[in-house]
Amino acid sequence: MSKLSAEIRHKARELLESGQVDCVIGYEASPRGGARPVFIYDPAEADRLIWDATCVHNLVTYLHDKKKPRKRGEEPPRVGVVVKPCDSRAVNVLLAEQQIERERVYVIGVACEGVQDETGEPAARCTRCADRLPVVYDVLLGEPPEVAPTEDDYADLARVEEMEPAGRLAFWLRQFDRCIRCYACRQVCPGCYCTTCMFERDDGLWVDIGIEVPQKHAFHLGRALHLAGRCMECDACERVCPMGLPLSLLNRRMVREVETLYGYRAGREVALSPLLFELGEEGSPI
Amino acid sequence: MKFTTLNGLRAWLDRLAQEYDLIAPRDVDGHVLYRPVGSSGEILFDYERPELSAKDYLLPATETLLWVEKRGSEVILEEVLPDRRQVLFGLRPCDAHGFTVLDALFLAQDPPDLYYRHHRERTTLVGLACPQMWDGCFCTSMGGAPDDPTHLDVLLREVDGGYAVEPVTEKGMALLEGLALEERSQKPGFSEKTQFLRPVEVPPPERWRPLFENRLWMRHGERCLSCRICTYVCPTCRCFDVTDRVVEERAGVTRIERIRVWDACTSTNYRRVAGGHNPRPTKPERLRNRFYCKFCYYPEDFGPLGCVGCGRCIVSCPVDIDITEVMRDVAERSGG
Repeated sequence: MSKLSAEIRHKARELLESGQVDCVIGYEASPRGGARPVFIYDPAEADRLIWDATCVHNLVTYLHDKKKPRKRGEEPPRVGVVVKPCDSRAVNVLLAEQQIERERVYVIGVACEGVQDETGEPAARCTRCADRLPVVYDVLLGEPPEVAPTEDDYADLARVEEMEPAGRLAFWLRQFDRCIRCYACRQVCPGCYCTTCMFERDDGLWVDIGIEVPQKHAFHLGRALHLAGRCMECDACERVCPMGLPLSLLNRRMVREVETLYGYRAGREVALSPLLFELGEEGSPI
Repeated sequence: MKFTTLNGLRAWLDRLAQEYDLIAPRDVDGHVLYRPVGSSGEILFDYERPELSAKDYLLPATETLLWVEKRGSEVILEEVLPDRRQVLFGLRPCDAHGFTVLDALFLAQDPPDLYYRHHRERTTLVGLACPQMWDGCFCTSMGGAPDDPTHLDVLLREVDGGYAVEPVTEKGMALLEGLALEERSQKPGFSEKTQFLRPVEVPPPERWRPLFENRLWMRHGERCLSCRICTYVCPTCRCFDVTDRVVEERAGVTRIERIRVWDACTSTNYRRVAGGHNPRPTKPERLRNRFYCKFCYYPEDFGPLGCVGCGRCIVSCPVDIDITEVMRDVAERSGG
């Protein structure tokens, strides 16, 4: 067991025993190999927690399930959550959007040397990670890794941007054709938390429920636009997609747009309010 | 055994493609999927389990049920029944098993589902035995096998130099007319290297019932994302929603299409009723329903278990919810 796993267990046990939190969301060893999310309520179960390069999931998304009390009349639970540097940006986004209360979330930040993709290679987002340490935390576990910080040059976008517009449209329609509209990309996204998604309305006001290319096209472009200035580039949507859609290309295109225009990158720092609430005649104050 | 060469098979498939809609495993941008093919050149013959089941061809993800045309005060209804004749080639035995499970609901009930029946009657299933079991596969625990002919019209097995051909039904026999076959004395079988994965115990319905309130649903369900992957990749999940959409509106004429579309009990609003009440508001409750449907409700209501052990939900779940782990947990906790 790694030193960091032991530290996470120790911290989780302490938080649960002292009653500081009701639940710790972390990673456990999956019987299928690698890690999977786990919810620990009992300090005696803290030893299920692990940390290694297969801890790919962004656990911040589960905080949405903890916003309401378990029983009517009770307080909502206090939750500890293990976050990597990329995930920690989601915490800032949800704070800025007033989705979570700072005092109800205990952020267990871990120093991160990068995680792996399915093939065991460093995940794409890790190769351009400039953080390596969480941007927000209550406790920081692990040593700052000796990794040279890298500059994000958006090189990943080149392969679609090199295409002619007609070719680019054909490329995306081919991707959307494979989509099965399972909504995994939306469900896993910490930034997708609308009570009723506009693409799933009963009245089909904008897009009906058909699982066909036009609806899937509208859904994916609509989701990318709704995440503009909010996507924190955890790439969870792309990771969970059963049909291998390169969704990060859509989201990162918007990330670059927002960064170029406003010098803003979602979740990098604590913002008082989200970017798109702040646009005035003078432009963004951020 | 009856034997054909790969070339003989290809020639036969090319002819079938002219006469039928031919659906077969294809490489679609690096994903193996059952898709329409125009000729045998597009077909994969050496492939693992396709990433999606073939249910889309009997229960399409989106299907027109009828057209409604409103002209002034006149309303014209036009029912659309499917009439495509199709051959599903290279079907894995678990996917054919899935159709038998669907038949119990869509064909054997009174009245049957006309749309499903029309597809079913016009479809011939040509299977290709799996040379082995892959990650997640547990068909042998669910009454199937990698070379199970039971639910197919024709079963092919790869053998030295070609394929062993086994007609299973009369429909299959008829389809084989025109395929160059020879008799060989060798018997098809698995190689010594074939791995059969460890079987899983399947607890009967009465052992699930007492566990309805058990903590294990929280344990498995809390990390569920409420997405629809498991239900959409599944050969036997068959829930659908029905909606009307306006496709044309011009002077005095409105044309409306009634469609049915796959739906998923794992999704948040699946069970919501008029007035907004949702009897299954949490993830554990919804996930529990999916498993109870497969192992209690469906067998009790319609006969067969709602799972064929294809393992797709296991390998495609982003948070490692594993139906065989759930079955083991139920078996352990319910004693026996």
